[in-house]
Formats: sequence, structure tokens, C-alpha cells
Amino acid sequence: MKEPRILTLGRHLVLLLFSVIAVYPLFNVITISLRPGDKLRSTDLSLIPDGASLQSYVALFTEHAFLTWLWNSILVSVVVTATGVVLAAVGGYAFSRFKFVGHDAGMLALMTTQMFPATMLLLPLYIMVAKLHLVNTFLGLMVLYTATALPFCLWQMKGFYDTIPTSLEEAARIDGCSRFQAFYRVVLPLASPALVITALFSFMASWSEYIVAAQILQESDLFTLPLGLKSFQASMSTQWGYYAAASVLVSLPVMVIFIALSRYLVSGLTLGAVKE
Amino acid sequence: MKRLCWLIPLLLLGCGEDRDHVTVTLWHQMVPAERAILDQLVLEYESAHPRIRIRALYKETEELRSGFQASALAGSGPELVYGPSDVIGPFQTMGIIRDMTPWLPAVEQGQYVEGSLTWLPSRDPDRADKPELLQVGDRIGNHLALVLNGNYIPQPPATDLDFIRLAQENTLDLDGDGRIDRYGIAWNFTEPFFVIPFLTGYGSWVFDKDDPSQTTPDLDNPGAVAAYRFVLDLRDKYKVMPASCDYEDADGLFKEGRSAMIINGDWSWGDYLARPELKAYVAPLPIVAATGLPMGPMVATKGYSLNVNAEGQQADEAMAVVRFLTSPPAQRRFMEELKTIPSRVELLNDPLLESDATLRASVTQMRNGRPMPVVAELRAVWDAMKPRYQALLGGSETPEQAAHGMQADALARIATMNQELQPTAFVPVFKTLLFLGLAGLLWWQRKSFGLFVRDWRRHRLAYVFVLPSFVVIAATIVYPFFYNIMLSLSNMSLRHFQSWEMIGLQNYVQVFQESIFWSVLLKTIIWTVVNVGFHVVLGVFLAIVINGPVVGKSLYRVLLIIPWAVPSYITALTWRGMFNAEYGAVNLIGHQLFNLPMIDWMKDPLAAFIACITTNVWLGFPFMMVIALGGLQAIPLELYEAARVDGASRWTQFRKITLPLLKPVMLPAVTLGTVWTFNQLNVIWLVSNGGEPSDKTHILVSYVYKAVFNLYQYGYGAALSMVIFFILLLFSITFLKRTSATKAVY
Repeated sequence: MKEPRILTLGRHLVLLLFSVIAVYPLFNVITISLRPGDKLRSTDLSLIPDGASLQSYVALFTEHAFLTWLWNSILVSVVVTATGVVLAAVGGYAFSRFKFVGHDAGMLALMTTQMFPATMLLLPLYIMVAKLHLVNTFLGLMVLYTATALPFCLWQMKGFYDTIPTSLEEAARIDGCSRFQAFYRVVLPLASPALVITALFSFMASWSEYIVAAQILQESDLFTLPLGLKSFQASMSTQWGYYAAASVLVSLPVMVIFIALSRYLVSGLTLGAVKE
Repeated sequence: MKRLCWLIPLLLLGCGEDRDHVTVTLWHQMVPAERAILDQLVLEYESAHPRIRIRALYKETEELRSGFQASALAGSGPELVYGPSDVIGPFQTMGIIRDMTPWLPAVEQGQYVEGSLTWLPSRDPDRADKPELLQVGDRIGNHLALVLNGNYIPQPPATDLDFIRLAQENTLDLDGDGRIDRYGIAWNFTEPFFVIPFLTGYGSWVFDKDDPSQTTPDLDNPGAVAAYRFVLDLRDKYKVMPASCDYEDADGLFKEGRSAMIINGDWSWGDYLARPELKAYVAPLPIVAATGLPMGPMVATKGYSLNVNAEGQQADEAMAVVRFLTSPPAQRRFMEELKTIPSRVELLNDPLLESDATLRASVTQMRNGRPMPVVAELRAVWDAMKPRYQALLGGSETPEQAAHGMQADALARIATMNQELQPTAFVPVFKTLLFLGLAGLLWWQRKSFGLFVRDWRRHRLAYVFVLPSFVVIAATIVYPFFYNIMLSLSNMSLRHFQSWEMIGLQNYVQVFQESIFWSVLLKTIIWTVVNVGFHVVLGVFLAIVINGPVVGKSLYRVLLIIPWAVPSYITALTWRGMFNAEYGAVNLIGHQLFNLPMIDWMKDPLAAFIACITTNVWLGFPFMMVIALGGLQAIPLELYEAARVDGASRWTQFRKITLPLLKPVMLPAVTLGTVWTFNQLNVIWLVSNGGEPSDKTHILVSYVYKAVFNLYQYGYGAALSMVIFFILLLFSITFLKRTSATKAVY
């Protein structure tokens, strides 16, 4: 696998350029969060602004209920992730291995859920949640988040199971396993990269969502992080320092998880195809 | 399962109400400094009334409006809402706020300054002569005035001529690089609210001044044209202000000392006065010499309204809270700390109003102003003014054209908003057809049910596995989906908010009849194709580059997926800032490093659309890259070796091996990507600030969003949503069939 040097250099140049483009906006947010005195705009291009201070970050923890929001977000996201992974793991398996009645319609239905402009579902969704007395409960939020993340997760799990040869389960069945045991003991461990990705998606869907959350959670003690973040925003008096600092803190956990799991991303994210 | 049991009480947290407590919920849109005082007042009230709990919740303007509408429709919501009086008209028309007269007898009404109590005629035809009290104000204001930097301008201008002179003297290129370093004046150019003082200065107004109901727009008159010309002259003839400027630009310029004057509202003054280096002070806007009239802003009351769903004791306690929050001591605290003008007669003689320079200027400015009409029509007027005003400043329309267009648009929008769609004779037939169709569908699929019963035994595991997911998705999607279908066939709108009924297909007819639908559809298709095209090409390209022998592969991969990892509403706002004309990184880098011209991205529709596309391309390429990388790694290396033995070039290898083997992997991702991009509301909304300039950057979803939320066209919006849904459904089915990717998907 030898390559001409110029080609290798070219690869590095391209990757370097795009890496800078990919990361730059994030640095922009960090810069604003460090800028003293609530200024969104400045002609200063330096990454660390003059008189940089961590004051906004300190204030988030001391003057605002940042820790409460963080805890609420963690609670909601963890439950949604766990539920999402379990449901997608079994559901995706059924779609991959069984040609049951409603199989094709089901797969198509999953995709159609992605087609509806989500903002239009808000009003009926709210009415439903209010009638079921789920306003100001995490339960309502968790069910909604699970439902939003599930279609993609099911699709993705199904695609991954498709790449696992059925012969493995057949062998296990011959060895005396039940269908469920064959799934649980043989296929599921092999699907771990996809499970990791499913978990990541469910987590992301709930960690950074605010439109639905704003409708359901109407008490500041129940706020999740994005709602706390939004409370710094107003049409003509946004507290940009807090907003940027909170943005950084909201993004950080997702990024850390993303980066930690990035090696699974490539092997685990399969939307179908490549089946033998 | 047992281990999870401890979660259950946590999940139900917050739904239990204390029996012996009465909770009064208040949604407000107070800025942070106001919130601090409100919180103190709430604490005091609660300690004096141990049985009462006040839950005050901040909501952003639009969120408060749409959230309150939805919750009131669902029969719940906060007992009290606090905000400026411009939402009172629509709220009353929708029937979601209550008359407060029973709680505020005539004696007490007299204690409030005239105009701070908002009255509207009852909507009940039998009580039409009895006005309803719909808002109790705790302050008058929300008005614009001139704020000056005392270092540059010690004395405020008396007339517009002084104003121009002072602005010219303070527009300076200090370092001689050909770029202005200090402007004479700055303000928010994007909102028509900020142009009102110029209109009144030239003797114009937004509604016909002789119409007591203030519902007939009067936007096309010589005064308005003169006012727009004056604004254009400030920029082009006298060159005393930036070429384009939104709220944050103006605010930033003034705070950095790069603008000698700013026009801004009373909510912002405290922030400027608190910066000693600016020596900022507030002054009334100047008098227009040609007319002799002072520039007067729109003045609004801010106050409390009572939810229609608040009843009995709940309503009594809520009104007691209102009485406390609007009481003289409470108002005095706001007046002292935040320089607000009180709404209580008792406080009008307060020495502070005379002794405090800011309050004195504010009172003068307020007297020069005109009260904001509390009618729903004002919303339509703003909506009509905004795009034309932006076109005027963008140079694509003359003052005459803009004024003329505003008037025509305002009339059309008011007509749309007040449109009364009645059920046609066709409706019963239609209902029958709908029912028959549903029955037919069931009959057609009857075999499936039989099959299902037989299949159940064979594939029990499959059903058990799928059932939970199916239940969760169905529970959250099915009801809203059918509700939306119902809405799309109904006349739900401003005038039929609670009392809507089926009217047939009229909304759909309207969708297809309007030419704007087709032009926005075309734009949406361009948006989708360009975005997905770039996503795929960039994604595959980068995947191929990274998939070779590169040192630091995993580091690059981590950096390249960052756009995907960060929540998009944060990065979209960042990109908006980066495309800013004056401060944005895109222009600054382009100018400083490559000497490119500074482009005013948000002024020109095409440039703004390109900015949106760039943002979305940046957001979406990592996903495609990861998918492509997975596909590349699944291609056996032996294929390439064999090709090399046969003497195939790299290009041939790419065309004959890589592409065909990548295609099946990419197709499902492309389908999903298309659907997601088609419905990408966040990016368009945040980057172009809701379709600016002049509503020319909309795609279908953002257009629907705007139609529903600005003009209350719920039925129309639902119909358009259904159309979007069917377009995507049709596309997905044909695309997957054509490319025979169905096998991969199913």
C-alpha cells in the first residue's frame, strides 16, 4: 500500500482544512463564553478574547440551578437511552429475521414517521399530554423522546442484524438453544457496535431537545439543560455570556461520548445493504 | 425490574399538588433584571400568605404566546400571563383570557392611569356594549428613545437637523483604513417596530388615525414615504450608520463605543447606564424640523391577564396576586431600579419621576408616543411591513414601492387572518366518503387480519419483539397524526380557535391555488438537492481521503464528526454570527486573509440562502462521511489488488469498484437525508432569523411554521403539512423502488 508522497500530503491538507472548518464554529462559542460583559459581536478574531474570564461558567453554577438541570437531563436521557436500546434491539431483530405479517408496512411506517413536519405535531401532542395529566412529569417527556428516537434506531439495528449471517443462529438452535436464547446469547453480543450507536442516538435525541421539553416541563425545577439554556435567551435581551457558556457545557458531554464511541460509529452504523 | 422501581416516584415528581396550598402559576417575559425584582416580590407575598404558592416562569415571547394558546386550548395553562398588550387582541378573539372586572371594582380601576387598563368590547354579541377588562398594567412604556454616549455627545439633539449634524460629526474613520470605526447612529434595521418614530415624526402612523377601532391599515401615504426616505438618506446620503444592522449589531456597536447614539427600548437602558465608560444617557428622540412633530415611538402597557380556565378560588387568588404585583410599593421598586414608568395614579406625583434624568426623559418620550393598538390586526401589519421594509433597506424597492406594497400586503393578510371558512354542502358527503374509504381500506386488508391470526403462532417471538416499539410509536404519533388530518379539513383559525368544525377540502384548494406555494416548493427542492448533494459528495470524498494510509486517522475522524455532535440549535446560531456583515468570521477572514469584498450576507436573499445552505452542509456532511467510511471498509481489498494487477488506474478503480459497491450503502442514507433536509426547520429559522430578508429564504416547513404562528392559520398549516408529508412519502417510495434499494431497506 505505498502511495506517492504528494498524495499523502494532499490527504493531510484536505483533512486539516476540513478539520479546521469543522471545529472553528465551536471555538467561536467558547470565545463568546469567555468574553466579559455580554457581548455577542466583536471584530476581534482571537480565540481567547481580551480580559477573558470564566465568570459566566462560575455564575452558571453559583447563581443558576445548573446542577439541577444537569441532573434532570441525565435522568431523562439515561432512561430514554436504556428503553430505546432494549426496544430497538428486540424490534430490529424481529424486522431482520422474521417475515411476519405487516413487516414491510411496518418498515415503511417507520420511515413515514420521519416525514411529518415535527412542529405540526406539537399542538395535538400537547393536548394529548395535557389530557393524560403528563404535563410537568418526566414520564411524558421520556415516552415522547423514546418514540422520536425509535424509528431511526430500529432501522439501524435491523440493518446491522442483516449483516450477521443466520447460520450462526441455526448452529445455536441445533445445539439446543431456543429462538430467544439464540438471539440473546449469539446474535446480541455480535451486535454490540450497533447497540452502542443506538444508545448514542437515543441519548442525543433526548439530551439536546428543547421544543417538546418547553411544552411539557413548565416548572423551572424540572428544567432539562436545553431549557435552562433557553431561559437565557430573549428576543432582545439575551444574556450571551451565559448562553454561550451553557452551550459549551451542554455540548461537552455529547462530544465526549461521541468521541469515545467514534470507533464504533463506522462499524456500527449500518442502514441496510451489504448483506450476503 | 426491581432495581428500577425507585425511579417511579421520581418520574411522577411534580404531579402531586399539595392539598392545603393554592398554586398560582404566572408566565412572564421579564428580562433578567426585572426577574430579580419579581422573585423578591414573590418571596414576600408567599411569606405573608403561607397558603399561596406562586410559580413564576420565564418564557420567551413567541414561546409564551404559542405555549399559552396550546395549553388554554387543552383546558389548562397558567392562571396568569404577563407581557406587553399586543397579544391581548388575539387572546381575546381566541377566547382564552377572561374579563377581570368582577375582581377590580370601579373604585380600584380609578387608581390606575388611563390606558394602563386594557379594555376591549365583549365578543359576546349580547354584551357587546359592555367592555371587558383584559389586562391590568403594572407599567407603561416598552418605548424607544435615543441613548447617547456622553463621551462623544454631551447635549442631545433637539431637531432632526441637529441629529444629522451630530451623527455626521461622529462618523469617523479613525485609523484611515477606509473603514468606518465609529458611526453616528445605529439601531435595529430588521424590525419595523424601530421605524415607527420616523413615521410619527413625519405625521404618519400604521393605522388610519380617524378609525377609532384602529383596524384599518394606513401604510401608503406621503408621510410614510418621507420617513422611509429619511432613513435611507441617513445611510446613503449622510452615511452616518452601518450598511446593515440587526439588534445585536447595534447593541454591540454601542457597547464598544463604536456608535455615538443608539435607538433602543426602555428594556435595554439599564444595561447601558450600568457601564460607566459609556457615560450613557437617555434623551427623547428629536423633532422633525419639516413637520414640527416629535418622533414618537409606539407605547405599550405591560401587565397581567387572566386565563379563561382559571375559576373559583384559583381565579380569586390569582387576582389577589395581580393586585399585589401592581400595587404602588411593588411598582415603585421597578421604577427605582429599572426606571419604568408606573401605572398607578398615586405614583405619578412621586418626586423620583422629576429628579431622575432617565425617568424624566422617558416620560417626555412616552408623552410624544402613541399607544400601541391592542388589535389582532397589528400582527398582520407587522408581517406586511417587515419584508417590504427589509427590501427597502436592501435596495430592491423604492420608498414609494415599499409603502404601496406594505398597504396591499397588510390588507391581504388581515383578510386571510379574519377569513371565515364555512362548511360547504359537500361536507356530509365528504364525511361519508372518508368513512367509506376507511371501511374500504379495512375490507381490502381483511386478508391480512386472517393471515395475522394464523401467523401469530408461527412468529410469536417476532410480534412480542415488535409490539413494545409499535405501542410507543403509535401512542405518540397516531393521535397527533389523525388530529392533524382533522385540522387540515377544518376552519381552525384566529376566529375559530375553540369552535372549529369540518369544512372539507378548502384548505387544500387554497394551498395549491397560491403561487407562493409553488415558488417555495421549488426553493425547497433546490435546498434539498444542493444540500444532500454536498453532503454525499463531501462525505464520500472525505471518507476516501481518510480511509487511506494517513497518520492520525482517528484524530481527524474525531475532529470531523464534531459538527454532528454539537446540538444544531447552538451551531446554527453561531453560523448566523459568522455570516454577520460587520463582525462575522466569514467576512473578516475573507477580507483580512484573502482581501475579498465584505459581503452583506443577510441583506440579499440569495446570499442569505447560501448562508443557510453552507450551515446545513457543515452540519450534515459528517453523517454521510461515517456511512461512507463504513461502506468503504466493507469492500474487500483483494478487489483493488486484482484491479491493480490488471493495470487499472486509480480513477478506474474508483469508478468500477468503489462507487458501485458504495451505492447500496449510501442509498438508504440518502433517502433519510433527503427527508431530514426537506424538513430542516432549525437551520433556516435560526440562520435567516425566520426567513429574512423579506421572507425570501423560506422552505416549506419554515413557511408553514410562520403561517401558523403569525397569522393563526391552523387549518391551512395542517393542510400544508399534509402536503409536505405526501410529497416526501411519494418521493421515498419511488426513489427506493427506482434504485431498487427497497431490498436493502425492507
